Amino acid sequence: MASAPTSKYNSHSLENESIKRGTFFILIDKEVIYICPFNGPIKGRVYITNYRLYLRSLETDSALILDVPLGVISRIEKMGGATSRGENSYGLDITCKDLRNLRFALKQEGHSRRDMFEILTRYAFPLAHSLPIFAFLNEEKFNVDGWTVYNPVEEYRRQGLPNHHWRITFINKCYKLCDTYPALLVVPYRASDEDLRRVATFRSRNRIPVLSWIHPENKTVIVRCSQPLVGMSGKRNKEDERYLDVIRETNRQVNKLTIYDARPNVNAVANKATGGGYESDDVYHNAELFFLDIHNIHVMRESLKKVKDIVYPNVEESHWLSSLESTHWLEHIKLVLTGAIQVADRVSSGKSSVVVHCSDGWDRTAQLTSLAMLMLDSFYRSIEGFEILVQKEWISFGHKFASRIGHGDKNHADADRSPIFLQFIDCVWQMSKQFPTAFEFNERFLITILDHLYSCRFGTFLYNCESAREKQKVTERTVSLWSLINSNKDKFKNPFYTKEINRVLYPVASMRHLELWVNYYIRWNPRIKQQQPNPVEQRYIELLALRDEYIKRLDELQLANSAKLSDPSASPSSPSQMMPHVQTHF
Amino acid sequence: MEFAELIRTGQAQAELLRGPEEPPLRGTLCITGHHLLLSPGPQATPDLWLLLLRNVDSIEKRVAGDSGTITLRCKDLRVLQLDIEGVEATLDIARSIEALSSLESVITSFPFFYRPKGLRLGDAWHFHPPECYYKRVARETNAWRLSEANEDFSLCPSYPRAVIVPRAVDDSALARSARFRQGGRFPVLSYYHAPSGTVLLRAGQPLTGPQKRRCSEDEDLLRAVLAGARPGARGFIVDTRSPQAAKQARMTGGGTEAKAAYPGWKRLHRLLETGRPLQESFVRLVEACGDLEQSMDRWLNRLESCRWLSHVKETLSTACLAAQSMEQEGACVLVHGAEGTDSTLLITSLAQLILDPLSRTMAGFQELIEREWVQAGHPFQLRCAHSAFSHARPKHEAPTFLLFLDCVWQLGRQFPLSLEFGEGMLLALFDHAYASPFGTFLCNNEKERCLCEVRTRTHSLWSGLSQPKEQRKLRNPLYVPNPLAIWPSAEPQSLRLWQGLFLRGTRPPEPSEVAWEKVWQIVTDQEKTEGSQPTDSASEAGP
Repeated sequence: MASAPTSKYNSHSLENESIKRGTFFILIDKEVIYICPFNGPIKGRVYITNYRLYLRSLETDSALILDVPLGVISRIEKMGGATSRGENSYGLDITCKDLRNLRFALKQEGHSRRDMFEILTRYAFPLAHSLPIFAFLNEEKFNVDGWTVYNPVEEYRRQGLPNHHWRITFINKCYKLCDTYPALLVVPYRASDEDLRRVATFRSRNRIPVLSWIHPENKTVIVRCSQPLVGMSGKRNKEDERYLDVIRETNRQVNKLTIYDARPNVNAVANKATGGGYESDDVYHNAELFFLDIHNIHVMRESLKKVKDIVYPNVEESHWLSSLESTHWLEHIKLVLTGAIQVADRVSSGKSSVVVHCSDGWDRTAQLTSLAMLMLDSFYRSIEGFEILVQKEWISFGHKFASRIGHGDKNHADADRSPIFLQFIDCVWQMSKQFPTAFEFNERFLITILDHLYSCRFGTFLYNCESAREKQKVTERTVSLWSLINSNKDKFKNPFYTKEINRVLYPVASMRHLELWVNYYIRWNPRIKQQQPNPVEQRYIELLALRDEYIKRLDELQLANSAKLSDPSASPSSPSQMMPHVQTHF
Repeated sequence: MEFAELIRTGQAQAELLRGPEEPPLRGTLCITGHHLLLSPGPQATPDLWLLLLRNVDSIEKRVAGDSGTITLRCKDLRVLQLDIEGVEATLDIARSIEALSSLESVITSFPFFYRPKGLRLGDAWHFHPPECYYKRVARETNAWRLSEANEDFSLCPSYPRAVIVPRAVDDSALARSARFRQGGRFPVLSYYHAPSGTVLLRAGQPLTGPQKRRCSEDEDLLRAVLAGARPGARGFIVDTRSPQAAKQARMTGGGTEAKAAYPGWKRLHRLLETGRPLQESFVRLVEACGDLEQSMDRWLNRLESCRWLSHVKETLSTACLAAQSMEQEGACVLVHGAEGTDSTLLITSLAQLILDPLSRTMAGFQELIEREWVQAGHPFQLRCAHSAFSHARPKHEAPTFLLFLDCVWQLGRQFPLSLEFGEGMLLALFDHAYASPFGTFLCNNEKERCLCEVRTRTHSLWSGLSQPKEQRKLRNPLYVPNPLAIWPSAEPQSLRLWQGLFLRGTRPPEPSEVAWEKVWQIVTDQEKTEGSQPTDSASEAGP
């Protein structure tokens, strides 16, 4: 039920007027025919600014037909030539990163498409033209600053760190130890900085095992890293072996450390040929290694391509379910969720500390640690908690957003591109479907994040790692996506959210309980669109208001009550102490 | 008493497994004429576990050593396992269950013995007589009348005593039309759509036969329907068979309306499978859902090959067609297949849910089921004799009513605020249609119910469901009356497997009831908040 409808186009459309702040100028304004795959050709006027492309109909009271940030464009192709015949055969075909294509037909006379093609190419792919990405020009102002949402020291303090087993180290302050890791790391108390440097030489791209999350009660931990550099010759590294043993010893409830290698077994073996590998149990005596069979970025990219093939522009009708199955998309979702469930269960019920890695530790590893943390820690299921989770496990730990998404880059066939983050958000959506009251945010929140993953309006997802972001002064020069969301939180709230503490969520990852996220993947098709969007939203808003009202009333009651109780002798129950108790009601 | 001969054992010690989620129950097992009982030991909860034997669809027994295991697969799709001490006891219990669960006599069935506290016999049976719906129609138009020509069920054994027919047609014409329609099911009014002034009718197929017979009274009747609607109104006949099947039916005495004989009416064919293919689809689906060994990567393929969701799709889109013809084309619609007691009722009842906001209320929905299914002569006893697990050779079984409930569930999923009842109501209706302590779904038609005195000797399901303690399970907490028609999307991408029913055994981690309960709490907290003032007594109600 936690589904807010998507607006007919996407979530940018309504805010557009507010971002015209001098930074915003119209480059093109011309008549074209938009070849809508659902309603046929529509005569309209296309406007292209340095941020977006939009189209107003010339037929029906200049309705807004399209509103597309240039950042979502992955490819622009010319179709037809000056001499091609047939109606609407001359124009542009634009492929978008959000599973749609836009086709425009233009008049053949006078190379009329040339300027449109050139302007689009320049501004959709600014990197190739030494132009800045739009986020650096955007002067939007919000009444909250999203960049302050995540503060690593505060987040680790919330987890109860440092403690007598784990310390915070600034060894990576200048990104010298590992250039794709954040400046601040949490490592075992008993490992010296010198140890860390030696371990770094044995881990792919120096991504050493560091703490992601600690269990508040049993003190077991989730640790992330990259593969060990074992190679064909089976190299060993004493410091790495001892370091993992030190991690194991921080938890005395079981005498084994669990290592989850996200890859399929054969891929892990194959990686030895390029110097990588995995922790074999004859070297790491006190560790158990499991493979989670999650495929690599190339497999995921091809799978999503197949999903697009069956949903856009026409939805495969006659054999929908078997076509969906043949994309393997849901199967990949299932494997990622299954892996995360294993990690969470090992930590929570198995009382064993867990090390998670794949090859480089920035794709599958980020999926697994962040999903496991979402299952284990209810804090991450609130809006701000989720922002912190993304900021921490994805952005600060160097998920290569720039390479995976290709912001402002024209090389649409780049083999580095892959929908890893989208897959993570899909897993979160599957969880929110199975636990309709466990998440503070709604579907619109997730779709908004995905829209701005591509839009380049915010700095949040730019660049591959923290060191690059720092160099570009992203936090000073751009606006954070969380500013947009947190300044208008009500739009993104799930009215059925019931705050609860210490509940571990174990979703069912069986194919029977997974479904295609129709409201995202098929949202451009008007025939599949969510029914009755507005009444649902209206009712949600009413319910939210009710809930707030109820909290307020209860609060008043408690105040009145405690005032009565607090006679001079002693009354320990102050209203602030009682608040969390009150909130457990919701 | 006759049941005593069939009960071969007094009692036995047993352990009951009700699925992976629930803890096993240990206790003393015994059998009565209608129930299997498990009474837990004194240390456990005092609650008695009770199973209506009529609910048992198939039974499987195994013995090993000095104990045995009985697996009961129920008509409501639950699977129970009983581990019983003693081989003899196991075999006796299995035989008793087999004998008692397959009793066919209606008047010795449990509803005739069920006397719950707080309910009075005869209550609620008068809730929804045909007269009641006629009053609604009569407020809008006087083109229709209530005819009691079928008072003694002589015209049509599967119609109720009173039916709504065009005012211009007299009872003798009805009698002749009845002879021209299969099962005597002459065209009667199913729903009057006031906004467009059009009507929905249902009937059995015309008995044109190979000689292409005609019946002038039947033709007059349909002419009168158009004349009674707005001037110039057209009509559509939605035939739920393929054109070939309709033509072929002539060889066996049936057929379809000839174009020339019914001016103003246009025939549309929309094939809806019923009977055997539908039952097989149901069996395959339940088998697939229960098959946990099945390799997971083929699940969607298997789901597709069960074809259940295509039945849902065809049914919903045909219902949309009928509703659209009325609402948007301003046409009258007559629906029939062959007998007019299965797919016909699916379409007429769903079209009403789409168009009529009243039928989406709790009371309206019950009225709809009573009027369009029970009184309209859907043969519940034949169709629901067995569910998906039975090994018995299928005769007349078909999950037509379940298909209706599934379509309603899809409507509710697409319009989460527009139905006053929730999934719990649909599940309850499914359970009661197959095995129930109430009399509502007994027998095949009104005539049989009269002979068995169902109305005076059993309780109505509607009075059972109106008990206050049931309401929270059955109602939709988010309901907001929606005065508009609700047009569902029948695209395959918009349809889902009804997990709450078909995956009853393998439940999601947060069962929908839990979420449902939380939503209820948020909604009802409003009333509490509004009623309470910050006083001493109110603050006690705090956390």
